[in-house]
Amino acid sequence: MTDMLSKTEEIMKKAKTLGADHVITRTTVGKYRQVRFSNSQVDITVAWNDYTTDVALAWKKRLVATQIHGFKNVDTKIKQLLKLAKISQENPMFGGFAQGSFRYPKSKADRKLESLERPADHVFEAIEAAEKEAGRKVDSGGILFTKFEDVYIASSEGPVGVDSRSAIELSIRAFSEREASGHGVECCSNLKDFKPARAGAKAGEIAKMARSPKLGDEGVYDIIFDPLIHGSLLGVWGGMASAYSVLLQMSVFVDRIGKKVAPETVSLRDNPAAYSMSNRVFDDEGVPAKENTFVDCGVLKTYLHNASTAKMFKTKTTGNAGLVAPTPWSIEMDAGEMSKDELFEDVKEGLYLTNTWYTRFQNSAKGDFSTIPRDGIFLIRNGEIKQSLKDLRISDNVLTMLGNIAAVSKERQHVHWWGEADPPSLAPFILIKNVHITKSR
Amino acid sequence: MDKEIVDFALDCAREKKVEYAEVRGQSQVQDGLMLRNGVMEAYVSAVDSGFCVRVIANGGIGFASTNKWTKEEARRVVNMAHKYAEAARRKEKLVFSKEKGVKTKWIVDQKKKIENVSPEEKISTLTEVNKDLASSKVKIPATMTSCSTNLIAKYFVNSEGSRITSYVPRIGVFIFITVAEQGKTEQAYEQFGYSGGWEAFSKWKVSEKIVHDAKVLKDVITKAKTVKPGNMDLVCGPEVAGIAAHESCGHPMEADRILGREMSQAGRSFIYKGGPYWIGKRIGSKAVTVVDDPTVDHSYGYYEYDDEGVKAKRRFLYKEGLINEFLQNRESAAKLGVKSNGSSRSINYDREAIVRMANTFVLPGELTEKELIEDVKNGVYMKSFTEWNIDDKRFNQRYVGREAYMIENGELTYPVARPVIETTTQKFWTAVDAVSKKVEYAAATCGKGDPAQGVPVYTGGPCLRLREVFVK
Repeated sequence: MTDMLSKTEEIMKKAKTLGADHVITRTTVGKYRQVRFSNSQVDITVAWNDYTTDVALAWKKRLVATQIHGFKNVDTKIKQLLKLAKISQENPMFGGFAQGSFRYPKSKADRKLESLERPADHVFEAIEAAEKEAGRKVDSGGILFTKFEDVYIASSEGPVGVDSRSAIELSIRAFSEREASGHGVECCSNLKDFKPARAGAKAGEIAKMARSPKLGDEGVYDIIFDPLIHGSLLGVWGGMASAYSVLLQMSVFVDRIGKKVAPETVSLRDNPAAYSMSNRVFDDEGVPAKENTFVDCGVLKTYLHNASTAKMFKTKTTGNAGLVAPTPWSIEMDAGEMSKDELFEDVKEGLYLTNTWYTRFQNSAKGDFSTIPRDGIFLIRNGEIKQSLKDLRISDNVLTMLGNIAAVSKERQHVHWWGEADPPSLAPFILIKNVHITKSR
Repeated sequence: MDKEIVDFALDCAREKKVEYAEVRGQSQVQDGLMLRNGVMEAYVSAVDSGFCVRVIANGGIGFASTNKWTKEEARRVVNMAHKYAEAARRKEKLVFSKEKGVKTKWIVDQKKKIENVSPEEKISTLTEVNKDLASSKVKIPATMTSCSTNLIAKYFVNSEGSRITSYVPRIGVFIFITVAEQGKTEQAYEQFGYSGGWEAFSKWKVSEKIVHDAKVLKDVITKAKTVKPGNMDLVCGPEVAGIAAHESCGHPMEADRILGREMSQAGRSFIYKGGPYWIGKRIGSKAVTVVDDPTVDHSYGYYEYDDEGVKAKRRFLYKEGLINEFLQNRESAAKLGVKSNGSSRSINYDREAIVRMANTFVLPGELTEKELIEDVKNGVYMKSFTEWNIDDKRFNQRYVGREAYMIENGELTYPVARPVIETTTQKFWTAVDAVSKKVEYAAATCGKGDPAQGVPVYTGGPCLRLREVFVK
């Protein structure tokens, strides 16, 4: 491990010696495994290993980057990169990389996820759980994914460190009928807490409830969002909290620091904590990753920053650095005081949505968008699920929906799936009032 | 890329008890630069190179990849792929369709080689676009411009005797703008893509297009009216025809989706065995023929052989309104008892090849665009789109117009703000009564697969005229 860090540091020092003003080198040794399954059988098991050193350097405010593999041709690569920097253009807004010497907490990554024996067994467990709920004829598909990364970082501005990051995720979609499905996920950073049957059972339970769906109606509904679909919304809100999204006007949060964007019951944090699939002890500039509350009791408190954007906004980095754009790692909504059941009791006539996909914007600055709920869509009447529905679309606005959050549940789930609920999040059930629903005509 | 390691890995795989083995080496020399508000953010230049091994053993498939080019690593990767294939415990054993082994070499030619284009020229070309935007007399508070070049070398070998070497230079440009007027904003993006050399820039007319977009957005804010919702005729421009061809024809015609292999992520299809829609069933009017064709010269989705070594060809997906031919790779083709039609693509050495589109477009008809519009008494011309999406069975879709005009008595009368068509695949394609004769393409990045594989594609078509559809 120290050997890898030394080699990573050597590249940084070499670049400095050759004339770079600021340098960050980061070596990742990654082992990733995936089992893909459909029709309740394993389609393919995939393993990919990655050994890469990312090098970012600045020379007179010109930012360039490259990759080095196997610590080979370091001199040549660095010289080429510096040459590129010298003919590149100055970015007057470049604020340098984060400075300081930091002590990082020890990573709690689970080495068992480095090389999982018989990964397909977890898939079989989830499929069986889905079948237990929805019957033997249920058709299940999805993925099991594991990640183990050793990350070594060395910055000319001070930060030097080692991190290990682990994750395991099972995502299962079960079909009880052609148009009746449920989706469940189980997301963890360690094997001990990983219970694939939970995801299978949830997928099966929703798939069973979703049988015989009817075409839904357009209108304005009070809607309970399951943690999984809420994860998609949190991904959008978290992405819009990035200072880079704000700079590009791809955010509804432009010029709203200090302003109310949601009811008092809503607090949103970015927190790449040990439990999260996005666990990490430092960001891409070596700044300790930490919990950042960006919406506190409904008020927008901060954007998510790297050193450069922090300088532009006259604040401090929040430890969310990517090379150019700060990025959210793992979003949390604080738990509320009501139980999930109480949330349902509050709805006289509304919908319960369990998942969505294909969220697209007309205008990110304004926040107008639509997204297509999938898997279980249910009509709620007097607090009870009355009918399975299909073929509906949410066509609404980010700020309006945030403002209309009426209740938040105590129960929360760590969720992530594909690019649709990404980055990972810790999501409660929420009730949003007056959501606009449209459909095909 | 070390071809010897690729061959060695195949030899290692053949030593195992496998029904099939392939190794794909891939090297990508990538340059990417990004400007925000006309100022350079970063220039990234890197080489990504590695190889993957895919085997079928005991009816299961295993895949493993690495970017470490050593024989020891090759053996390890083969062992892993083999171990995982055997562990699949499938009831229904997987096989691939029978295809001929191929020995060939293909490249995409360049008039102005990307390899000879200096970083300074790349930077200055993008900077010029931003200068043109700045002098457009439209208030544009935010722009993001990026350019990527990718020189992709592949070496594919399999246990059936295929040895295919290829080289594809690819270039892409993406521009996003926000226009502000009267305290309101509108946004648009343009994407350009090409397989070939730097000559692409002179063909694209990047500045002209994005400046036009900026002026259109200004008009949307300052002049456009909303549509009175109701049934009317809708003329879709090539950009809208292209996205519809891609979303509601290309995707549902992917055989892996039809067979359920993407059921958890990208979803299934409204087309399935025993269902109301299958080969030979009507999905649109006779005016509608949609093809997917990787052989369009210098297209963004161009290839001569797919990533399973099968020769590329034009596929007629919807033919005169009938469901005609699915997109197939060797796995799906074997399941459906047909041959692969060369639709297997992978974005890099560390991703399995899956069924993908290449360039999906509507074939042209006889009329001019003017003739198409002349015959509309009351309707909307949706020239381009902003928000769009479709459900995961690819049946319920929505397109929101970016540049759009009211048509009254055969004339374009005034700009329309964000008209929406939200309808089903069958209603959309059945409503088409005529198509114009000039096909135009747009570059796009198609998403599918887990981990996600964004592949370069063209979408396109002529103008389509839809009769009596609900527009709001």
